[in-house]
Amino acid sequence: MMDAYKQFFEYVGVFFILYMIGYASFLFLAVTVGSSMLYQMKRRNRLKSELLGEYYVPVTIVVPAYNEEVTIEASIRSLLALEYKLYEIVIVDDGSKDNTSKVVCEAFNMKAISRPIQRKVPCQPEEAVYESYEWKVPITLIRKKNGGKADALNMGINASKYPYFICMDADSVLQYDSLEKIVRPVLEDSRVVAVGGVVRPCNGAEIKNGRVVSYHMPKKIIPSMQVLEYDRSFLAARILFDRFNGSIIISGAFGLFKKNVVIDAGGYDASTMGEDMELVVKMHAYCRENGIPYRIRYATDAVCWTQVPEKMKDLCKQRRRWHIGLFQSMVMHRRMFINHKYGLVGMVSYLYFLIYELLSPYIEVFGILTVALAFWVDLINVPFMILFYVTYVVYSAILSLTAFFARVHTIDMKLTFSDFVKAIVLCLVEVSCLRMILAWIRTTALFGYKKKKHSWGRIERKQIQFK
Amino acid sequence: MNIEVMIYVYGAVCVSMIMFNFVYNMMLKWSVPRMKRRREKFERMVMLQLSEIRRSGEIDPRHAAVLRRKLCHVNDLMAFHMVINEGDAGKSELAETYLRQIRPAILYLALVYRDKANDKAGYFTYFLSNYTAGRQMPVDSLQDILLEYVRKENLYCRFNALKVLYHMANPEYVVRAIKIADDGNVFMHNKLITEGLLSYSGDHGQLISQLWSEFSGFSNHMKLAILNYIRFCSGDYKEEMYAIMTDRAENIELRLSAIRYLGKYYYGPARDDLIGFVLDGDMSRWEYATVAASSLASYPGQEVVDALKEALHSGNWYVRYSASQSLEHHNVDYSDILDITAGNDRYAREMMMYRLESRKLQSAEV
Repeated sequence: MMDAYKQFFEYVGVFFILYMIGYASFLFLAVTVGSSMLYQMKRRNRLKSELLGEYYVPVTIVVPAYNEEVTIEASIRSLLALEYKLYEIVIVDDGSKDNTSKVVCEAFNMKAISRPIQRKVPCQPEEAVYESYEWKVPITLIRKKNGGKADALNMGINASKYPYFICMDADSVLQYDSLEKIVRPVLEDSRVVAVGGVVRPCNGAEIKNGRVVSYHMPKKIIPSMQVLEYDRSFLAARILFDRFNGSIIISGAFGLFKKNVVIDAGGYDASTMGEDMELVVKMHAYCRENGIPYRIRYATDAVCWTQVPEKMKDLCKQRRRWHIGLFQSMVMHRRMFINHKYGLVGMVSYLYFLIYELLSPYIEVFGILTVALAFWVDLINVPFMILFYVTYVVYSAILSLTAFFARVHTIDMKLTFSDFVKAIVLCLVEVSCLRMILAWIRTTALFGYKKKKHSWGRIERKQIQFK
Repeated sequence: MNIEVMIYVYGAVCVSMIMFNFVYNMMLKWSVPRMKRRREKFERMVMLQLSEIRRSGEIDPRHAAVLRRKLCHVNDLMAFHMVINEGDAGKSELAETYLRQIRPAILYLALVYRDKANDKAGYFTYFLSNYTAGRQMPVDSLQDILLEYVRKENLYCRFNALKVLYHMANPEYVVRAIKIADDGNVFMHNKLITEGLLSYSGDHGQLISQLWSEFSGFSNHMKLAILNYIRFCSGDYKEEMYAIMTDRAENIELRLSAIRYLGKYYYGPARDDLIGFVLDGDMSRWEYATVAASSLASYPGQEVVDALKEALHSGNWYVRYSASQSLEHHNVDYSDILDITAGNDRYAREMMMYRLESRKLQSAEV
């Protein structure tokens, strides 16, 4: 029996060594490339290697909303403050149970109008359409039957008048220059069909007219750890994938899309929870299968500020939802898996997301159970295990800090000494504790997910303090 | 590989990353006062030369030599740029004299930066675009050098060099630059070209005439940008546009642009052709019908209104939308379109009612 255990642990050991080498190397590559790209961008900006001037690509901002009466007015006001000229705002109220539509109508003097909307992509029918022309740009509000976020976004696409649209969350705020920055890749390359923006936690930031006037690490621990996590996982990794046109996620909180390509690809899939990822994967597949030259870019200077969950319960809910969305997208497009027809998207991006995102919580939980088993049968080298664990924590923490400081330095943010210390301490906690908790949450995410597939996955909202 | 060795290697990598971060942060911190010192130095130099001009009417020849030597370094160029851009130096008549007198040094620098890396060359053209803004200075030698910058296969460098040429060059050089930019090596969005041409500080009539004489030699991408530019600038090309619009062998985007032009500038002979596009039942040509329906907004007459009313029954949503917009421009009222509003075609009725309601809403609010 003991031999069988030994044999088992040997295999597990080899597997984990390979797994960790892969992960560590990826993380290292992502952070190195990500940081160097940020520094390069700063140098480019310094040398004015950018398209300065007023070149406006017409853009529709689609704001899907469900029970957003607390934040919707502030969000729309922030959109009206954007330093861009050629855009319209389309708010889609997805059958809210609160007063979302009423708040918008009263705040922006919207008038009911019988507007025909062409169904270019499927969505639930509209119940009422309101328009207002008394603001800087036209505002349209569509109240429709509940169908989920993807369905609301499809309605926004159908109602949009311009060739590009931006999807965003109703609880997020775009930085004053974000539209200008997110359309730049379109002006630089005719093949660009989608551009992802940077999503940053606004907890701890004071924003005035779309500008950050002061920035601190959030007071609460959970959002602080997410700040570090966002920089490491999202910023660095996405910059790396962008290098080889391999981004398969554009956050639903801020992304620009070429409308006709999205329509041709079929629009958002209302049956998935991760509609943002599913759309991008679908666009890759559509363009590659039809031989359309395309690029999906990541604009590191187009910034959207969003509220990240402040309570553990909300964070777990959000991550469970993300994991289900990831699972659905990967299953739906499984034909891409190590399929050379899809180039590096299938060979690298899909593989990475499968192993280090979708399966990682199961692998991590399996690892912990194996350690427990090894303890039980007394087949573990405890000092080595501790050394290995400490190395892992320090390594991950240093990479998190590198990504964090690279971001802070390159956008000229000033941190106080206490923020500095907080970042160092919390990145250790994030890697050693939060990651484990979230691994467990993600492991259990798929249990019973079918029951809630159309839910909006609410997290507790606060009134956003945008001045 | 021994696992401990690997751990140490990764550990070493981490330490170097932290070191890099630390050093870079320090460099960033130091670069601010360094740049400030540089700027102050140039500020003093420029102020001294302004007094020299006030006294003798000319700058000290040694100053030009200093500029030639120092401004070869991009950081010094940036500092100098700040001085002439932000300070009082760039605003008075005295300063204008100063900037005019340092032209030989700028010309020398144009040659130096031409051979530097693309990002530095790009910055120099950015500096030049500010330096030349509002100052017509068609110096042939500088224009020739700028064409070399346009030739560089770097979008920003090309973009900034074109900007300089729009500020200062004569039409012939702008056309030559546009031809170089049309080499297909660097993608340049037609919006950038159109907006750039619109910012030309010289005579647009002459520029358009030169562009038109070379028109057939451009790619369709560039032709489209030029047609759009002409649409915004001149109504003197109706016949030429009409020829493009009616040429079935021509590229669809160019024909559509020509239709838009003839929508902006009324041209009697085009009316029947536009009506023909609108009434064309072939759905594969819906784009022509849509744009022509929009263009007919500026063509009066019952025949036009009838054609637009007919287009409201089109199977294509965009054609219906454009037709309803144009009918709205023709100031039709509910009574004029009773046959539509009381008719059986729900799509036509909805679209027209929406436009009329929308007009009411806009006129009440705007």
